[in-house]
Amino acid sequence: MSNILFKIDNLSKNYQMGEVTVEALKEVSFEIYDGEFVVILGPSGSGKSTLLNIMGGMDVPSSGKVYFKEQDITNYNEKKLTNFRRKDVGFIFQFYNLLGNLTARENIELAVEICEDTLDIDEVIRAVNLQDRSNHFPSQMSGGEQQRVAIARAASKNPEVMLCDEPTGALDFETGISILKVLKQVNQEFKRTVIVITHNTPVAQMADRVLKMRSGRIIESYTNDSPIDPERIEW
Amino acid sequence: MKKLNLRLFRMIKHSKGQNIAILIVVITGLFTYTAMNSAITNLETSLLEFYDLTNFGDVYVQMMHFPESEVHNLENLDNVKEVDARIVFDAPMITDNRDEKVSVRIVTVDKYENQINKLFVEKGTRTIGDREVLIQKQFAEARKIDVGDTITVQINGVRYPLLVKGLVSSPEFTYVMEDEQALMPRPDKFGIIFLEKDFVGLVTGMKGIYNDLVLTLEDESKYKETEKLFENRFDKYGIIRLIEKEDQLSNSVMFEEINGVKQISGFIPIVFLFVAAAILSAMISRNVKNDRLVIGILKALGYSNGQVLRHYTMYAVSIGSVGGIVGIFTGTLMSGVMTRMYLEFFYIPLLKVKVDPMNIISAVILTTVFCTLAGLYGARRVLKISPAESMRPEVPKEGNRILLEKIPSIWRNVTFTWKIVFRNIFRDKKKFVFISLGAAFTVAMSLMTFWLSDLMGGMFTDHYGGFMKMDYSIQFSQPLSKDAIMDLEKIIKPDYIEGKMEMPFEVSNGRLKKAVNIIGLEQNTKFFDFKDYQGKTVDLPKTGALLSYNLAQALDVDVGDQVLINNYIPGRSNVYVEVKGIIKQILGINVYMDLSYMETLTGKGSFNGAYINTDRNIGEDLNSLKNIGGVQSIGEMQDAFLEYLDLTILAVVFMVIFSGLLGFVIIYSMTILSINERSMEFSSLRVLGFTKTEIFGIILKENTVMSALGFVYGLPMGKLLIDAMRTVYVSDLYTFDAPINIKNIFYAYIFTTICLTIAQLITYKKIRTLNFIEALKSRTS
Repeated sequence: MSNILFKIDNLSKNYQMGEVTVEALKEVSFEIYDGEFVVILGPSGSGKSTLLNIMGGMDVPSSGKVYFKEQDITNYNEKKLTNFRRKDVGFIFQFYNLLGNLTARENIELAVEICEDTLDIDEVIRAVNLQDRSNHFPSQMSGGEQQRVAIARAASKNPEVMLCDEPTGALDFETGISILKVLKQVNQEFKRTVIVITHNTPVAQMADRVLKMRSGRIIESYTNDSPIDPERIEW
Repeated sequence: MKKLNLRLFRMIKHSKGQNIAILIVVITGLFTYTAMNSAITNLETSLLEFYDLTNFGDVYVQMMHFPESEVHNLENLDNVKEVDARIVFDAPMITDNRDEKVSVRIVTVDKYENQINKLFVEKGTRTIGDREVLIQKQFAEARKIDVGDTITVQINGVRYPLLVKGLVSSPEFTYVMEDEQALMPRPDKFGIIFLEKDFVGLVTGMKGIYNDLVLTLEDESKYKETEKLFENRFDKYGIIRLIEKEDQLSNSVMFEEINGVKQISGFIPIVFLFVAAAILSAMISRNVKNDRLVIGILKALGYSNGQVLRHYTMYAVSIGSVGGIVGIFTGTLMSGVMTRMYLEFFYIPLLKVKVDPMNIISAVILTTVFCTLAGLYGARRVLKISPAESMRPEVPKEGNRILLEKIPSIWRNVTFTWKIVFRNIFRDKKKFVFISLGAAFTVAMSLMTFWLSDLMGGMFTDHYGGFMKMDYSIQFSQPLSKDAIMDLEKIIKPDYIEGKMEMPFEVSNGRLKKAVNIIGLEQNTKFFDFKDYQGKTVDLPKTGALLSYNLAQALDVDVGDQVLINNYIPGRSNVYVEVKGIIKQILGINVYMDLSYMETLTGKGSFNGAYINTDRNIGEDLNSLKNIGGVQSIGEMQDAFLEYLDLTILAVVFMVIFSGLLGFVIIYSMTILSINERSMEFSSLRVLGFTKTEIFGIILKENTVMSALGFVYGLPMGKLLIDAMRTVYVSDLYTFDAPINIKNIFYAYIFTTICLTIAQLITYKKIRTLNFIEALKSRTS
């Protein structure tokens, strides 16, 4: 068994929406191992994004702990959290979230500029097959291309883990598959841990391990002995 | 370039119009600051250097007669360091043009060098002897007199040709005025000439007697004690006026100008920078709001709060820096022009036009502080944005009912668009305040400008022609009897003539005192139209005196109070005089009395001048007369003032542009911000079927309501500005006391309306080009 990268221990998160308290996460516990490709599966509102945000140091839990490489990141102050996001985490969002007035390449450089030991930008751009589009602005690119820029931006930082929030949610089937292929490639070629959250069940077929969520809880967790190639996924 | 900086650069490029507008405001602020400050620093440092080099006197004393034998005793008086005793008087200069009246002030000097107020030789030599003269350079230049020429001056009726040995300047006469009422230098009509002491003593019959003293003191702070000692010791020689350096005419005018400009150069740039900072801060605050998601992404990528805050603050600092550099650069260039403009009025031979690093540093600090604070203030919300939160759609703003909605009878009758207008106005109170302030600023500043231009225009016509109605004022070189007036009448055959007695006295009320000219007039004088502040005619009283308003203020007296007139004429005692009326007088401060009542001060039956009304040119006739000290032509003074008015008009044009600019920039920027902020709202309205013009109409209505409030409180703001202006510029020399009239207000409103309308029309382009559909589906940050 590989090293534990994340240890989630009794994690809960409550939101106050007016007078109603929403329990987004309820005492969630699990572990993620180094180099895994994990899919967290669940319908919308099941708490996936909240979980991912807390694991990425973007949000804080109401209770419970998140250990990253045995360090309790829930105790981190703002400065340490920023550093954690900078060095260890690469985010990929459903709506790509590129900066509109920077080109594809500049969006990637934006992330690389503040990190050390980064990957070679050209190599990453080649890996995501964007050589010919790197000088285009997001508005000049398709959704799939924009998402590939977002992956390149996250991967080029050379983070320990890639956290992907519905990376194919805004894309058509074929483009979605191509994005999953890139993520798999990052996982295998660059040896990065990849965590994908999605409501799209077939995506789970490519995962090493699957966590199923519903109503803020992990309801099922299993290892996929024979993950399939993304190209063979159908939905 | 760092990618965040690149983004910043593109952001700035994207909102060109707004940035140019802010840049203009920053540039204007810094331009005025640097130009005025540098010009004034040039003037002040050069003046002080000149004073230092020439040993500028600390005390100036006008005496009836001061014997030479006492000079040594005066030198030994406690705290007195050096003494220069002189004869000073005005005399006509004879020129080729028979109709021209030119007067000179003759000041005696030592043959070689004076200890105090040393002359600075610009051309020729300093050494002079009999029938040789040194001429103040400005006068020489205006009259095209050069070294080696001969000028003719009439002293006691005798014409003396004098050989010009040198052109000089004196610290005592950097600003040359005939008297306090002249206001403007007239270098071609009045100048200073320096003659050798013994020669003047001989031709005037005043050998060994002086009427003017200049002293330097060991310790200037002990002036009051020295003044007392001097008065006790030498009162018997008739002390007409004791003037401390600060009140010396040329010096006080110089410093009044310097201090006035310093105050304005402190005030105007602050207003401009404040406006720029406010707009910048509003813009950045809007950017931060719109960039909520971007900020979240940056934080998710690992950018720290400080880095993101710096990114947005840099926006303000970049605009501030560019504006600052351009403003400082152009301001420095302009300061050279301004300094040269000053040279037309003030003459300082050592005037150096140089760049003062301190002024530049302070300008840089001023801009940096303003823009950084504006940036930080505008971007402060960056700190509150959590990356996870920013990924979720923003919670819609809570909608509250506005006050107007609570009055159903009104609200029911308001149309849909007006409902939107009122709700928006009251929901975004900051914008409300800012837009109304923009309108108020423009109203206030333009009101002040129109008032000022009205005032300057009316100043001289009100004073000369309105208040004083003579064509000429003639000063005799010594007091003469009633016969002299009759003789004068026979020779120059005026339409009308009145004798006058004008003498300087110290007037006091308790500890408050002022040295002023008391003017004795004939009972039913036709030359003065005395009016009080309500515009009611005031008659010259048979007993008692009329005081000009400024003097009454300075002495804190009212009608019915008594003032003490300290009599310097030997053998005559001090007199208490009742204030019978306080009159409006724009230029100068004076006391007016009936001629026969004035005899209680001066003795029986004498005149030392006359007022004349005539269409004839009396220059030649007067030149042939003995005992004529000087002539002032009211027409010529008005002409000189008109020249000065050209400068004022230039300043007024600048101020009008400045005030219009402020209103324009505020309204333009805030409207653009509003359109950007509400693109979703407008898009929804478009989907509902609103036309672009109807949407523009909503913005126009909002701005009109907000500006209307500014129009209301712009008036009291303008009055405050005008009051501040009055305080800055009220002096013994003149008062800025014109009331604000309806015409001023009307012009201010029209002007402001035009500026704001132009700003609005330009923003229409933004509505026209806004891509509503794109705004609705936009998700790229």
